[in-house]
Amino acid sequence: MSGEQIGGVAIDYLGLAQEIVEQVSRKGVEAEALIMAGQTTMVRVNKGQVEQLSQASPKGLGVRVIKEGRTGYAYTSDLSPQGVKESWRDALALAESADPDEYRSLPEPQPTEGGGLALYDPALVTVPTEEKIALAKEVEEAALSLDPRIVATIRCTYQDEAWHIYLANSRGLADSYERTVAATYLRAVAREEESQVAGLGVGLSNFYGELDPIAIGQEAAKRALELLGGNPLGTQRATVVLDPLAGTELLFFISEALTGEAMQRGRSFLLGKLGQKVASEAVNLVDDGRLPRGYASAPFDGEGVPTSLTRVMESGVLDHLLYDHYTAQKDGTRSTGNASRGSYRHLPKVSPTNFYLEPSSLSREELMRGVEAGFYIKSTLNTGGINPISGDYSVAANGLWIEKGEVTKPVSGVTVASTLGEILKNITAVADDLRFLPFYGSTGAPTIRIEGMQIGGK
Amino acid sequence: MLDPDTVRRILDEALRNGGDLAEIYLEDRTSLSLALEESKIERALRGADRGAGIRVFYGDTAAYAYTDDLITQSLLRAARAATSAAKGSNRSRVLDFTRSSSPLEFPIEKPFDSLSEREKAKLLHRVDQVARGYDPRVSQVRTGYLEYRQQVWVYNSQGLWAEDDRKMVEIRIAVVAQDKGVIQTIHSGIGAQSGLEVFDRIDPLAEAQELAQAAVRMLDARPAPAGEMPVVMSNAWGGVLFHEACGHALEADFINQGSSVFAGRVGEKVASSLITLIDDSTLPARRGSFRFDDDGTPSQPTVLIEQGVLKSYMWDLAEARKRKARSTGNGRRESFRYLPLPRMTNTFIASGDSDPEEIIGSVKRGLYVKRLGGGQADVAKGDFVFSITEGYLIEDGKITAPIRGANLVGNGPAILSEIDMVGSDFEMDKGFGRCGKGQMVPVGLGQPTLRIPKIIVGGTE
Repeated sequence: MSGEQIGGVAIDYLGLAQEIVEQVSRKGVEAEALIMAGQTTMVRVNKGQVEQLSQASPKGLGVRVIKEGRTGYAYTSDLSPQGVKESWRDALALAESADPDEYRSLPEPQPTEGGGLALYDPALVTVPTEEKIALAKEVEEAALSLDPRIVATIRCTYQDEAWHIYLANSRGLADSYERTVAATYLRAVAREEESQVAGLGVGLSNFYGELDPIAIGQEAAKRALELLGGNPLGTQRATVVLDPLAGTELLFFISEALTGEAMQRGRSFLLGKLGQKVASEAVNLVDDGRLPRGYASAPFDGEGVPTSLTRVMESGVLDHLLYDHYTAQKDGTRSTGNASRGSYRHLPKVSPTNFYLEPSSLSREELMRGVEAGFYIKSTLNTGGINPISGDYSVAANGLWIEKGEVTKPVSGVTVASTLGEILKNITAVADDLRFLPFYGSTGAPTIRIEGMQIGGK
Repeated sequence: MLDPDTVRRILDEALRNGGDLAEIYLEDRTSLSLALEESKIERALRGADRGAGIRVFYGDTAAYAYTDDLITQSLLRAARAATSAAKGSNRSRVLDFTRSSSPLEFPIEKPFDSLSEREKAKLLHRVDQVARGYDPRVSQVRTGYLEYRQQVWVYNSQGLWAEDDRKMVEIRIAVVAQDKGVIQTIHSGIGAQSGLEVFDRIDPLAEAQELAQAAVRMLDARPAPAGEMPVVMSNAWGGVLFHEACGHALEADFINQGSSVFAGRVGEKVASSLITLIDDSTLPARRGSFRFDDDGTPSQPTVLIEQGVLKSYMWDLAEARKRKARSTGNGRRESFRYLPLPRMTNTFIASGDSDPEEIIGSVKRGLYVKRLGGGQADVAKGDFVFSITEGYLIEDGKITAPIRGANLVGNGPAILSEIDMVGSDFEMDKGFGRCGKGQMVPVGLGQPTLRIPKIIVGGTE
């Protein structure tokens, strides 16, 4: 399993990672080596033609050295003996420039379990490229053919990745796993008279066969069509219903404030609120690194600690924080397996895995029924107006106006503002339609109802 | 990097199944970064990215493959992967390479290694001390140093051979201030395409002090008003609004797709006569500058909008081929792992003739925007939104109380037409801008002080 065929020669990457760790730790330091090797395909189509087709087999190494609490890191995409050696020598030398921190160390190996996570689709790498191209074209066609007002698509893309991940450290850790992900996304442009709107469609799965091209293409078209002819509202305070597309964005920024690091460094709007009721009864927040088929699931995290399920908020009470090894050491607790790593080019960083707001049994229609007058937000444009440190929340939004539980007209070009703290307290209902989206980590939200948000318009 | 014979062999291989044009982009990038928080250098990092991307054009399609090493065998394999899609099309010949020369020089006065890693770490410690020392309410400081050198070689089957060598350095600073349960954050940075001499020109310690001052001042900020009002945008970094709201919609890929509000409008009046918008990749020391773009096209200044009239889009090689147009040298990529896209370089609104004091003085009740956070725009409609990270009320022509938690929402083309005062105080940004369009590239921005007579402000009051 740990063999990779390069030029007909099988390379034992886990063995190489262990060898590097052994070499470096002889210098009297703690050492960790991460090797990632994978395959990717990307297809972009426009008007039924392939516009871009990209294929590659990326790979690389990251070496972390901790010398008396000082951290040095180096990475390289060059896995030749010379490239590898340069890399660990750099890491070793750089540790001298960092400052010591008594809590910096590498975690002890613990048993990990990858069974049941369903992360790897062996079919993904054997599906012919022609078939992936056909799938991308099918997505675009589904959008364009839904309605004559759909005039174009923007970046209609199919993309997949298969990764083999090998991690070893000087405390005896040597482990590996593999994962795949296939995704398709596009924007469909709808035009009618003076109005032009782009709507997003997206589908994502660990398994190639589970992508539904028709559904993805049609979602983009529908999201564009329903907003055609939208106008701003008058400035007012109103109930807001958040589509999962906007809800996952909100939740991602809330999750950023719920890490051990954010609390230890005063970078959280919930600073000092551990154990307190900070949200309404309807709010249950979960981080699950072992969610079957979760986009961010893995048997172990970015530094080898087994992943786990953490119930962060229960009925509005902030019960638990997310930790990596370092922040857990600092708080005298255990890592929750939340050290994430964008790639071998990055040091581990504490981050949510599959983070979501638990759904209820309420249908979306039932949730809307209770809204006398309100704004159903279908998409937002965020540009740094959501701040997990100060708690500010301000976005631009497009959507639909609701009266007596029914959608009445499209709305565009308004702002919605509140604070994250107020939003948590004012969530009065969540629906049963939990959906995970990949734009901000792997965050899941059902449709959410929030009272009393400030809408800025004309 | 590679000898021309090897390059020729690889391009021959890339055209084996046909294709109109084959290209190889070789990159060698080395970087050093240091990160400080909690008054400690928490990590020191070096990276090496060496690789190549091979592109084969046939018709309007670009097939691409890349490799993370420069072993001939890997390059030939990538060439075969790129050509596999081109089956059946005409086959072109590889012409002899002629090395392109550039008149541009980006001299380095103080090379990266004129300071040791420890000295660079010390500089970050001083930034931290200055920011913390400004006021006890400064509760956290994060600062980072980044330097990199990116060497680029582009060859194509039409005989093109272009080389570039880009050296970038920056210091980023984020300050958190806290008082009585209120938290405010401000971040910014300084840098350039240059050696370490940029820090003689822009003092990192002065920047740290300015940011600490702004963060503390924002602690007293009151909630921003909501509704429509006049807004005065400060010079330099304010240009980010036009980068997002208008710049992207002038990139040729959106034009060719027909998805941009500016598609098919060259020669039309699209903005107020006070507006001239320029993209210029030749400016010395600017982050968006280069000798050749990532397609190997020489850099150039491009007037996008002249006194309100749309003059040109920004083209890269791939989009220009589709329309038999000429590339304006806007083909850029984050690394060899990506296909180039038409991208902005250094994009700015040229100076006007209003006195900036007069512009502020002309507003009865409105906002003065000193610092914008991120921004985003929808190219199809031109709608944009920006968060204000440092903003003030204007009351009776005077800048008064700081405000917090506000967004600016508007429509790019509409704002461009409505701008009614353009200041004489043009300035470029401090050299830390980067732009994401699925790929990150460094960019430059600039503008004079501007007045937008009415725009929606999204606040809570």
